[in-house]
Amino acid sequence: MRRKWTALWALPLSLVMLSACSTGNPSAQTDTQAPSADGKVTVEFWAAPNPTQQAFWQEMAEAYKKENPNVTINVSAIKESPTSEASIQAAIAGKDVPTMSENINRGFAAQLANSKALVALDTLEGFDDAVKSRSMTNTIESWKFSDGHQYVLPIYSNAMLFGWRIDTLKELGYNEPPKTYSEVLELTKKLKEKYPDKYLWAKADLVDPTAWKRWFDFFMLYDAASGGNKFVEGDKFTGDDKAGVETLTFVDQLRQSKGLLAQNVTDPFETGVGVFTDLGPWMFTTWAEKFPEMKYGDNYTLSMPPVPDGMDPADSKTFADTKGLVIYAQAPAEAQKAALAFAKWVYSDPQNDAKWFEKTMLPPARDDLSDNEAFKKILEANPQLQPYAANVPNAVPSMDNAKFNEIQTLIGQEAFNKVVRGEIDPQTAWDNMKKAIEGELQ
Amino acid sequence: MNSNNNRLGWTFASPYLIYSLVFFLGPLLWSFYLAFTNWDMIAPTYEFVVFDNFAKAFRSEGVQSAFWVTYKFMLVFVPLVVAMSLVVSVLIHGLPRFKSLFLIGFFLPYLSSGVVSALIVKGFLSYNSPLNEGLRAIGIGIDWLGGPWSALFVVGLIMAWKFTGYYALILTSGLENIDREIYEAAAIDGVSSTARFWRITLPLLYPALYTTLILAFGVTFSIFTEVYQLTGGGPNFATNTWQMEIFSQAFKNLQAGYASAIALLASLATFASIFLIRKLLELWGKRNGWV
Repeated sequence: MRRKWTALWALPLSLVMLSACSTGNPSAQTDTQAPSADGKVTVEFWAAPNPTQQAFWQEMAEAYKKENPNVTINVSAIKESPTSEASIQAAIAGKDVPTMSENINRGFAAQLANSKALVALDTLEGFDDAVKSRSMTNTIESWKFSDGHQYVLPIYSNAMLFGWRIDTLKELGYNEPPKTYSEVLELTKKLKEKYPDKYLWAKADLVDPTAWKRWFDFFMLYDAASGGNKFVEGDKFTGDDKAGVETLTFVDQLRQSKGLLAQNVTDPFETGVGVFTDLGPWMFTTWAEKFPEMKYGDNYTLSMPPVPDGMDPADSKTFADTKGLVIYAQAPAEAQKAALAFAKWVYSDPQNDAKWFEKTMLPPARDDLSDNEAFKKILEANPQLQPYAANVPNAVPSMDNAKFNEIQTLIGQEAFNKVVRGEIDPQTAWDNMKKAIEGELQ
Repeated sequence: MNSNNNRLGWTFASPYLIYSLVFFLGPLLWSFYLAFTNWDMIAPTYEFVVFDNFAKAFRSEGVQSAFWVTYKFMLVFVPLVVAMSLVVSVLIHGLPRFKSLFLIGFFLPYLSSGVVSALIVKGFLSYNSPLNEGLRAIGIGIDWLGGPWSALFVVGLIMAWKFTGYYALILTSGLENIDREIYEAAAIDGVSSTARFWRITLPLLYPALYTTLILAFGVTFSIFTEVYQLTGGGPNFATNTWQMEIFSQAFKNLQAGYASAIALLASLATFASIFLIRKLLELWGKRNGWV
């Protein structure tokens, strides 16, 4: 009898214990990455969770396998549960990391590097050759972290631009977008006179403190006003006070002119509710499917961010939306080496970058984007991409501080969001934000 | 015999007990430990910071807002969901046929994805939606998700829509247990339908209502998906719930230790609040002679 009860208890207990011991992944990734006795290596590659990028990496993996039969690159999409960053964090905590992943921004890489979760790529043999063979020596320089190492191999770099509804601007008597603050305010005035229901910038994110949203409003304007000043260097706040207050004052003046609509609006730029928006090249593939009527030069055009009066618009800088590849420290050394060799193989042929560019519309992070023959055809066929390629040198990547999320949340909470809502004057907003960030960095 | 029954009971309960030990008690103890560290779940090393995380949490605007926002959600969500589920259950109870079919229909939103329903509502309430364009045409402009109380109301309404069918199930079963003869006797005595509801239905429905209320109050401590999708905790922390704050600290700021401290504070607030609410509900029932 006792045996019967013991058996009844043992069954569920052992099932639960087994499930608790499981990694949650039947393939138990770090085990599969270890080299087998016959010298075969498997690299687990997590691609961005979008079909285009996944298809590109799948194609590369298959082509690589043909030339390197001993190396298998397993491409799968990063899970978004609820964000890709959270999935990566959970994978690291669960010791179930891939060998490498893409879609990593500099701020998140700084968080991971700070926790020693990433391999410093420059310590791996062959990294310098990979950089040279891809012609990205200058581009990658700004990616160097404050400890002097390179943790990310940038894949693409979008010099974020502002889109303008040129059709509406022409109706207001403009043939090109305004370039300075006073010109933008003048345009806003004319817009509201003619179309009281339209806005200059219609976007709910303007009042949302979520950290990454500051890249596409505050930092675009601030980078232009400050000539690309580094907001934070190491553990020090190094923001440009004059440029910061000018940026916030400009936003405040737009609000006073009723040029801002900080509400949830469906496709505001495409429907013409707003005539100005931050625009990344990823939108063009969406537009091709959803808004085929959006034609560069016909109803929209692109420009660098406007600058404060008295500053030369030609000196305008912008935020570089750029993401890259990382290799994880938990992965076996053989798999790490194989991962870098794979990246080197992909980027040694400009045609692969050209394929990427054509499929994703995201400009490869290369020094020769405007000159290399491999990209000329794509740029000629897609003239809207030319300003992005031309402004790569004017784009400033995000800060490499491990507390970037807290810092950028404070920019929104203490300054930008409040100014947009008209709750605070720009100078006080800047001072409060600066004090809060300095406190956070201590 | 008794001993055998005991064993049988424990055996049948064992899968859930073991599951709870591994997936609830284990993480709870682990989280208690983490709350005293500065670990981010990634770094190979970490330090014990004693009560630093708790001290930081007490000073944090995000944590303070999460505390108060929960009670604001209670003010919006609980009356709304109880009233809606009560109406639904009374209507369904009065149906001559197809009661189960209607109950299933109302229960379906409970099974729907919070992400999808939130996105649909977001589109419905957008500035250029037909609803808002229509309202603006008659001079009414509402920034539904931009105002602190309107955002709370929208989230509360979605939650109420989701939970109405579930609570209506409980209340309907409570109504089904009320003897019809009591109503018939009251009708013969000339008691009006309103008086019948207040004097007969409500007192006899008290046990089901008590369960529903406790569940509804409990829900307000675990709101996440709808807020995450619709407002991100804004505007200005107006919808920042405990779960949003824990998520932000653990997965955005990578501060698992601090997030664990907030989670412990959240569980304390939940336990204390539910305990107090239970006592008040029991007092309400006793005062009226319902229990």
